[in-house]
Amino acid sequence: MSSKPKIGIYGLTGCAGDQLVILNCEDELLDIVGATDIRSFPMAMSGGDENCPLDIVFIDGTVVQPKDEEMLKRLRERANLLIAVGTCAVWGGVPAMENKFSREEVKKRVYGPTGDLFKTITPQPLSSFVKVDLSISGCPIEKEQLLQAVASLLHGDLPRLPNYAVCTECKMAEYPCLLIEKGHLCLGPITVAGCKARCPSYGRPCIGCRGPVEEANISSEVRLLKEKGFTPSDIQNRLRTFAGAADSLQMESLKEGTNA
Amino acid sequence: MRKSIVIDHLCRVEGHGGITVKIENGKVAEVNMDIFEGPRFFEPLVVGRTYDEVAPILMRICAICSAAHTVASLMAVENAFGIEVTPQTRLLRELLVQGGNIESHALHIFCLAIPDFLGYPSAIALASDHLQEVKMGLELKKLGNTIQETIGGRAIHPVNAVVGGFGKLPSQDELSGLKEQLKRGLEQSLSGFDLVCSLQVPDFCTSPNIYAALSSDGSGYGLFGDKIALSTGGTKDIKTYREICNEGVVAHSHAKQSLFKGKPFAVGALARIALNGEKLSGQAKKAKDKLGMSLLSGNMLYNNAAQAVEMIYSIERSIEIIDELLSVGLNEERPVDIRLRAGTGTGAVEAPRGTLYHSYSFDERGRLTEADVITPTAQNLANIEKDLRVSVENLIAEPKESICSKLEMVVRAYDPCISCAVHLLKVG
Repeated sequence: MSSKPKIGIYGLTGCAGDQLVILNCEDELLDIVGATDIRSFPMAMSGGDENCPLDIVFIDGTVVQPKDEEMLKRLRERANLLIAVGTCAVWGGVPAMENKFSREEVKKRVYGPTGDLFKTITPQPLSSFVKVDLSISGCPIEKEQLLQAVASLLHGDLPRLPNYAVCTECKMAEYPCLLIEKGHLCLGPITVAGCKARCPSYGRPCIGCRGPVEEANISSEVRLLKEKGFTPSDIQNRLRTFAGAADSLQMESLKEGTNA
Repeated sequence: MRKSIVIDHLCRVEGHGGITVKIENGKVAEVNMDIFEGPRFFEPLVVGRTYDEVAPILMRICAICSAAHTVASLMAVENAFGIEVTPQTRLLRELLVQGGNIESHALHIFCLAIPDFLGYPSAIALASDHLQEVKMGLELKKLGNTIQETIGGRAIHPVNAVVGGFGKLPSQDELSGLKEQLKRGLEQSLSGFDLVCSLQVPDFCTSPNIYAALSSDGSGYGLFGDKIALSTGGTKDIKTYREICNEGVVAHSHAKQSLFKGKPFAVGALARIALNGEKLSGQAKKAKDKLGMSLLSGNMLYNNAAQAVEMIYSIERSIEIIDELLSVGLNEERPVDIRLRAGTGTGAVEAPRGTLYHSYSFDERGRLTEADVITPTAQNLANIEKDLRVSVENLIAEPKESICSKLEMVVRAYDPCISCAVHLLKVG
């Protein structure tokens, strides 16, 4: 047992979809279990070890309350490698979406005076609080990317993840262009690849669920979308649905950048 | 004498929750199902979004129930704009929801609940002694996911189901292939049911339940309906769901609780079978008849057996839907056109864990002005606390550890989805 890497799989606040992707590896799950020493996976098993050092910890979800932050920092102390799985963990995800209400205001509207009994913090990705060794984005993550990552990690390597856009995958698959030809609000050009252009393959525009690709040309995307007749608020809403915490997706900063 | 039982973190449930029980002078003083999953404030987040953005955001309330959230959301949007989708779209959406039901029930029965009954901490540990059973469970789970991938375009958070219809239709070959897998799955679901029937079901949590589920005038058992049936008698229009799901804020929980006329009620597979079980047919009916009255005994631990019956039903119904689609041939239709108008609409679906309601208002430009989502687990929370109280009263003489594991078993029987429950809607 001792030679197998000790693994922990945890969720902060979120839909648990990325943990579910792990459980959805129905054909590989028993092999993964055999090749690793899963010490704790509260969603799927009782009696986990909550104190042992871990070789690898996989964490999905977003930090939205002090409890999440404490748990994350504790896991960082225990783990050699900390892996953020899913767009919530990597970018803040849907909970960190741009919103015109402050957290305190929202809490009051939702819970009334009872809201004072608990604390919330502005939703943020894991990297705002701790060092993250590997980020696997996606809402949810793609099973193949997860399995490749696990295989690399078991060999002591970090996996190579795509640093190109969904648009590239879409072109390779020769799907009709939804942005240029059909005039849809498609974020394929600025969203990181890895899903094999899943939405365009169903004739649906990319909504950016995997977060922005490195060095994305946001200003060019915004200009194109404006030409297609989308309003700045429609564009901003779509840009910040999954990665509201990413500075590159703030249109205000974009404007300053263009003027500079 | 004061004593308390605290379960900090429930395992093998989706999300973050615990249980606190306070005992004074040998009597149960207080029982709380604590929900400390962080709030995400979904409903205020979608205000101002255009109608087509609503489902992709709100389906992310929950991964396991994302198909049901998607379909309920789309139905609410379409209802608000007064549009009708085609019969083909309705069938495909139902197939998607049946796929979600198969996946979720298989996950719950085999991976989360059965280990309780056989005394294992997890399905992983269970696999070392019962490999065949665990493999069968995983195959059934995969079948549910394959349906969701084929129809919804992804097993979690479907991309292909959109307002008015579908992005791309499945091919006849894909549907025929699914049917073959479903036929094999039917055999497995029957074995799974036998396995569940062989489990000893203790009765420490038995107490009278009020059940609620969707119902329709149709002849078959179903996961859709335009009315809400209650075991106390009578039905209500789904638009009046607020009369049942009278949500209140409680201090120990980030999820609100639902009460019907001041009493807790239960939703989910057991509630559906209690209310609509006479409409079951085929192998599912035989399975239900085999269980007999135990399903109606008020023992929520039978929810696992009810799920096993429903897994058979969902597979048989999926085969029926595919036969119907293939017999008339798939019509290459585009999503129905939307005419924007100001309005309010409600959609309801029986999610794996019970009735799920989405209700929205839009302005004349199709932007959302108000959203309300009531999830099954939020409806079940008060009933879970009722069952926990009964259980502690019955188990009070037992050692603390034994009480704890049995209380966890009660919560798990409801198959709670805590992410869903912390959905956070606006107060009045």
